[in-house]
Amino acid sequence: MSSPATTAPETARPPETRRPPRIPLWANPRLGLVVLLVALVVLFTALRPAFLDTTLTLVPLQSDISVYAVVGLAQLAVLSLGHMNMAVGSMASMSAFAMGLAYDRLGVPLPVGLVIGLAAGALLGALAGLIISRTGVNSFVVTLAMDFALVGLITILYTRFTDGVAFSGQPAGMTTLRNDTFADYCMGEVCGPRIPLIAPIALVAALAVGLLFRYGRLGREILMTGANEKAAELSGIPTKRRVLQAHALSGLLAGLAGFLLAANNGAFSASIGDQFLLPSFLGPVLGGTLLAGGAVSVLGTVLGATLTQVIYKGLNLLQFQLDELKLYIGLVLLVALSLDRIRHVIGERRGARA
Amino acid sequence: MILSAEGLVKTFPGVRALDGATLRLAAGSVHALLGENGAGKSTLIKILTGVYRPDGGRVLMGGAEVHLAGPLDAQKAGIGVVHQERNLIPEFSVAENIVLHHLPRRFGLVDRPRMKAEARRCLDLLDLDLDPDMPVAGLSVAQAQLVEIAKALSVDSKVLLLDEPTASLTGDEADRLYGIVGKLRDNGHAVVLVSHKLEEVFAVADTVTVLRDGHTVADAEPLAGYTQDQVVDLMVGRAYASVRLPERRVDPETPAALRLREVSTARGHRDVSLSVRPGEILGLYGLVGAGRSELAKALLGLDRITSGTVEVHGRPVRIRDVGEALRRHRIGYVTENRKEEGLFLDQPITRNIGVTVWRSLARAGLVTERAERRVVEEYADRLGIKASSPRQLAGQLSGGNQQKVSLAKWLAARCEILIVDEPTVGIDVRTKAAFHELIAELAGEGLALLLISSDLPEIVTLADRIAVMNDLAVRGELLNDHDYGRMSQAIIRLIHGDAR
Ligand SMILES: Nc1ncnc2c1ncn2[C@@H]1O[C@H](COP(=O)(O)OP(=O)(O)OP(=O)(O)O)[C@@H](O)[C@H]1O
Ligand SMILES: [Mg+2]
Repeated sequence: MSSPATTAPETARPPETRRPPRIPLWANPRLGLVVLLVALVVLFTALRPAFLDTTLTLVPLQSDISVYAVVGLAQLAVLSLGHMNMAVGSMASMSAFAMGLAYDRLGVPLPVGLVIGLAAGALLGALAGLIISRTGVNSFVVTLAMDFALVGLITILYTRFTDGVAFSGQPAGMTTLRNDTFADYCMGEVCGPRIPLIAPIALVAALAVGLLFRYGRLGREILMTGANEKAAELSGIPTKRRVLQAHALSGLLAGLAGFLLAANNGAFSASIGDQFLLPSFLGPVLGGTLLAGGAVSVLGTVLGATLTQVIYKGLNLLQFQLDELKLYIGLVLLVALSLDRIRHVIGERRGARA
Repeated sequence: MILSAEGLVKTFPGVRALDGATLRLAAGSVHALLGENGAGKSTLIKILTGVYRPDGGRVLMGGAEVHLAGPLDAQKAGIGVVHQERNLIPEFSVAENIVLHHLPRRFGLVDRPRMKAEARRCLDLLDLDLDPDMPVAGLSVAQAQLVEIAKALSVDSKVLLLDEPTASLTGDEADRLYGIVGKLRDNGHAVVLVSHKLEEVFAVADTVTVLRDGHTVADAEPLAGYTQDQVVDLMVGRAYASVRLPERRVDPETPAALRLREVSTARGHRDVSLSVRPGEILGLYGLVGAGRSELAKALLGLDRITSGTVEVHGRPVRIRDVGEALRRHRIGYVTENRKEEGLFLDQPITRNIGVTVWRSLARAGLVTERAERRVVEEYADRLGIKASSPRQLAGQLSGGNQQKVSLAKWLAARCEILIVDEPTVGIDVRTKAAFHELIAELAGEGLALLLISSDLPEIVTLADRIAVMNDLAVRGELLNDHDYGRMSQAIIRLIHGDAR
């Protein structure tokens, strides 16, 4: 695409290369993550060879990565708008409660309960989105208030409907989902790899979210709303509806993460989700998703979640205490956030935007 | 030479913005820096103010080489600037923005009374009656521009660089600015003026530097030696023949595509009646602040219409948002404020144009890059959008190309009624002519066009009829006979409420 619209022949211009502007390789967050990951795995293995033990480490690690990748996606869904969801944890928890109740009291089969739980999560997200788009109050404040209310509600609900901690009833298939890997399923001589059954669920979620934001009209319109809300509105995008939908998606994914964690833990309990908030930011931010909105990286989020869980597992094996773990993970986030800012500034210096 | 730059080179990915550019500034002069869109004027200004680091060449002040590592360095060196883009902080007040970089302090705290007094003084220079405590977010485009200028005037700089300072100002406001510029020159300051409004340039500047494709083709020449046409030829690089617009005829019997009957709005418009037929260009003339853009926005459902009716192809309609206007009635609106409302600056060209067509391209809710690319390239080619790749970010394009992108998305969406708001603000002569040609061509293809413009020659060149708006009401309507002298007088008379 070139040539001025007037009658003139092309004016002399230096030859234009048809190359999209690039950020330098070393500033590419995904590449950095992979390098860091490999380095850490090597380091942990050197210090504790048990790090590569399949049953002890690798299988549970994969389960954890699956849960927290989805947690990261839940946050990513609203980061796309430049919003935050401070209630990812309590939305997951409410969703898990809905599932637990359905399994325990109604005895519904596993998929039905899952659908109920996801719907509950989506509904809560939509409510947050509705309040944000109607009142124009900052998403941080709205979801923080919502989180506060939900945490209270969850305690009340669990005391009212259970022994106070967890549901006892569980659907058929729950134990399989928790304990089995594909290696337990064989066709003749050939058995599957040692991958937990929940991993593909997370993978499908990641692919779906990736597809949505890359090729989906809805996802793209959400991103455009995040990039410039005024311009989006003036281009015919129903921005309020997109805000609502992005938050509903966030709630739904939080619900899915709640389900996966419950499957991992073997119980629909009140504590589900109370460790979700920080990891939900870690994955996307480490993966290069900007807090400003308008651009997301699903692959980066999965890598970021992987890195976080590798650090957790590694430090755990090296017998660090929980508090120390928190300290280090917090530091990692701080560094990642500064890098986010630095990338931005470098982009500007290089004239990424005028 | 108070300030000079030699052999400047600056490359962006895929584009060489400056390719050996030279600028030599003498004290006590107003120096015009001219060139087409994308010639590299703003890039040069940004190098002189430390925003960009040059890839080659040097900057000298008073004969000694200087290295400007950032905007503050430039300020310390006595170089003041009004950039082409707004750089105000929306949440801060007018006063805070004006004195941002030299806040008056007392006991380590900001001295608010002094800050306000200082801001007041700068605003007064421009005869600007604004509350210094008001947040900048609430200002109109023109007011924000004036505040930006006041900010530049608040520091006493030896060199003042103005990059299209009058693009969104009225004639009066521009005159006031040029009055100040004249005084600065008389006091021995050097002022650089970048502008596409050649009449203004010829009225105030003494010397001229012309950039073409990143290099200097006229180096600090006295402006008196040139005619406007000669300067344009230099900018374009060959003898430039102004284009002749195609002849159009609109059958007066054709029913209107869009008609407003005594429309009043929550914004305060009173009994506005207008109509435009397919194939016709209705010019909507008025000074900045007459309420033309606001009327367009009310039409699109962004403001409430309190009484009266809007008809599209003869049927009364109620439009609630832009999406509905576009999809149900095929109405598009090219905003005057392209940076904030028209473009997604951080997004590639493809997304900027594709945004209105995804809905029709989507299969099962998904849009392939290929389908998007096909539509985008069709319109990018048709409008002659110049970019290193369709994936280039809109924010990296020159002004004219940005405007084309913000128009392209409506053409791609196949609008039948197009409201074009100040389409050629900040656009060079040749691109402007190309735009005029394009607008006439679109009308020839049967589009109904409502052309909002404060550019009198533009309206008289393009419009079939001219409605004159002032103070939120239509003061009258004229049939355009394309005689500039006669039409402009009639229009001015209407504005001043003199109905003869
Ligand atoms: N940050 C950037 N990144 C990439 N390319 C850029 C950037 N800034 C400018 N360019 C390119 O450099 C060239 C010169 O741009 P510049 O903004 O200096 O032009 P200009 O003469 O100021 O034009 P206008 O009259 O439209 O303001 C253009 O081709 C533009 O696309
Ligand atoms: Mg410019």
